[in-house]
Amino acid sequence: MAPFYGPRFGNPSSTHRWGREARAALDEARERVARCFNAAPDEICFTSGGTEGDNLAILGGWRVLKEQGKKAVVTSPVEHKAVLQAVHQTAKEGAEERTIDMKPDGQVDLVDARLKITAGDTAIVTTMWINNETGVIQPIAELAALAKAAGALFHTDAVQAFGKVVVDAKQIPFDFAAVSGHKLGAPKGIGAFYIRRGTPLEPLFFGGTQDRGRRPGTENVAAAVGLARAMELALDEREAHWTQLAAMRDRLEARLMERIPDAVVHGRGAPRGPHILSISVPGTDSESLLMALDLKGVAASSGSACQSGSVLPSHVLAAMGVRDELASAAIRMSFGSLSTEADVDRVAELFPALIAKARGLAGVV
Amino acid sequence: MEVAELGAEVAVAMVAAVAAPRSKPRVLAAMSGGVDSSVAAALLVREGYDVVGVTMKLFKDGGDLPDRPCCSLDSVNDARRVCEALGIPHYVLNLQDAFGRDVIADFVAEYAAGRTPIPCVRCNTFTKFRDLLEKADQIDAPFIATGHYARVADGRLLRGVDDNKDQTYFLWGIERAILSRMILPVGAMSKPETRAIARELGLLTAEKPESHEICFVPDGDYVKVLERELPADAPSLTPGPILTLDGTVVGTHDGFARYTVGQRRRLPGGASEPMFVVALRPADRAVIIGPREHLLGRGLIADSVNWLQDGPPAAGEQVLVRIRHRATPVAGTVLRADATQFEVALDEAVYAITPGQSVVLYDAEQRVIGGGVIATSKRVLPVAM
Repeated sequence: MAPFYGPRFGNPSSTHRWGREARAALDEARERVARCFNAAPDEICFTSGGTEGDNLAILGGWRVLKEQGKKAVVTSPVEHKAVLQAVHQTAKEGAEERTIDMKPDGQVDLVDARLKITAGDTAIVTTMWINNETGVIQPIAELAALAKAAGALFHTDAVQAFGKVVVDAKQIPFDFAAVSGHKLGAPKGIGAFYIRRGTPLEPLFFGGTQDRGRRPGTENVAAAVGLARAMELALDEREAHWTQLAAMRDRLEARLMERIPDAVVHGRGAPRGPHILSISVPGTDSESLLMALDLKGVAASSGSACQSGSVLPSHVLAAMGVRDELASAAIRMSFGSLSTEADVDRVAELFPALIAKARGLAGVV
Repeated sequence: MEVAELGAEVAVAMVAAVAAPRSKPRVLAAMSGGVDSSVAAALLVREGYDVVGVTMKLFKDGGDLPDRPCCSLDSVNDARRVCEALGIPHYVLNLQDAFGRDVIADFVAEYAAGRTPIPCVRCNTFTKFRDLLEKADQIDAPFIATGHYARVADGRLLRGVDDNKDQTYFLWGIERAILSRMILPVGAMSKPETRAIARELGLLTAEKPESHEICFVPDGDYVKVLERELPADAPSLTPGPILTLDGTVVGTHDGFARYTVGQRRRLPGGASEPMFVVALRPADRAVIIGPREHLLGRGLIADSVNWLQDGPPAAGEQVLVRIRHRATPVAGTVLRADATQFEVALDEAVYAITPGQSVVLYDAEQRVIGGGVIATSKRVLPVAM
């Protein structure tokens, strides 16, 4: 990436040689990202990240299909806020918002999905591939097939999925897919957006002709190059990475369950990505635990944080039917390529100790 | 000045403080984003305490009220920036449910019952010095610090040295055992001294204006909160008579909760002398008005009592009595006092001893003896209730 912040600083839209150099780098990055989706370069758009990709797919797709007389937007209640809020926006623009019921294990209920994804009037179906709070993998192939059978567009928020599962545009008929760079080690502020060739889309921004007018604005060349590299590495290492993360996750999960037998692991019964462990211990609260963990040098999270940084109840766990006192105790531990066995062992010791302390203070034995 | 610029200056100014070894115990510092709590935290960092800054999120619509003294996004950001400059961690704690239950619900219920509550008292008693203390326990912090103008010494609560700022009127309700865990760094200073320290340290909150408003009340209009929280047909918000002292109906009002003892605004004219609300009578939804001298009281009965010394004072004990924030305490005598109630007689009559407000008793050494919620005012001239 470094040359594009220095000697190769040209604007890819310029016709002079520095512009052409930057353009070449951007084209190459686009080709590499396309290969990562098993797609063609013209099906790839660079965005600012997952949120933009989700908004572009949902609003951009809806606004075209609305004109064609479609009326429903179907989603699940466990989506990232980028999806949920974009869907709410379509509702403000006249869409009928439909939410697929969840099963207690954290997967969408496909029986209900069949009822909600109605042929003829469904504009777009949007479901995430892997949930960011629980790690639960959604039945994307089935959902995509349902959407296609109903004549609807299908978008998947693949932010958590890319590099964990195979996100292949030739295997699964998704029309849109959003990926975020910083989840893969690329910089923050860059994302890849897949658009199946021929899919109607109204842009969110207006201005230049960059990215075929789908995403006007001077491209972030350095970050796009970084993203391409990060996506390639993530694909190359995908299986080994999965094995390594799953081993750490399983080890931590087993040790925590051994020490805290009444702990609840969310999504345990469903297929899960290897990088997330969401655990609740009755009689504790996530806010205090997160603070105590952080002060011991352990970075974890809970549901989602609001802008002020305070911990909010998880809409994901609520949708799974997790009762309030357990949901408000949820701690989300994430594993990445920098996590080590030693980290796992440390948390396996520290977490039960903090739990014991919290329960002692709360008067729970 | 640009915020970014200011931040850089703060960082430079605080290098020495941050570099100080954290040799002293951990302190949970409650930081509203105002100057007082900023300075409190900064002083503790300078003294070598292991300070952890927290901002409490107390009510839901905070983000929509940009100029709130606390809980707004701006206030949280200010607190976080100060902590960043001090090199200490900062967390936002969501205490909305507890605050809603212990403070806002009581605030509404009190107005609905014809009394005039002070939510800050209950916030200190329950939210700050009970719920927040539990958070301190969770992170092994033996102490909790705030930016209150009050002092703690030898297990007793004392008035702050700045008479103009003393906040003990709001602190009488905290459990006595908690005093030993409180650190109130600005209580020994005047407000100008606090600001001077904030400037000296380059804290970005140094020039923040003073706030006297109730944090969760938008635009100082508490009725909006009542209208939001109470049903539309709540008796306290529905019309009733305005009566003079002899029972003559001189008008109607649109809900007694919109009136406070001592109020002069929004009353019918036509009387030969200025008229004031002298009492609210929820039983018949009456607002009773009368001339100013009918507001005078020479004593009171308080309940919901809390003692910040060993047990209640003895009958006959001479005390200093404060019935209003920043009012000069008046001399009085304890007539009776136990664990739940006390009655005092005042040496001189004072205006508008208002049910629902707090009464705090002090000894001659500025120590808080205890306090309570005013239940009944003993009037100089009788008002039929």
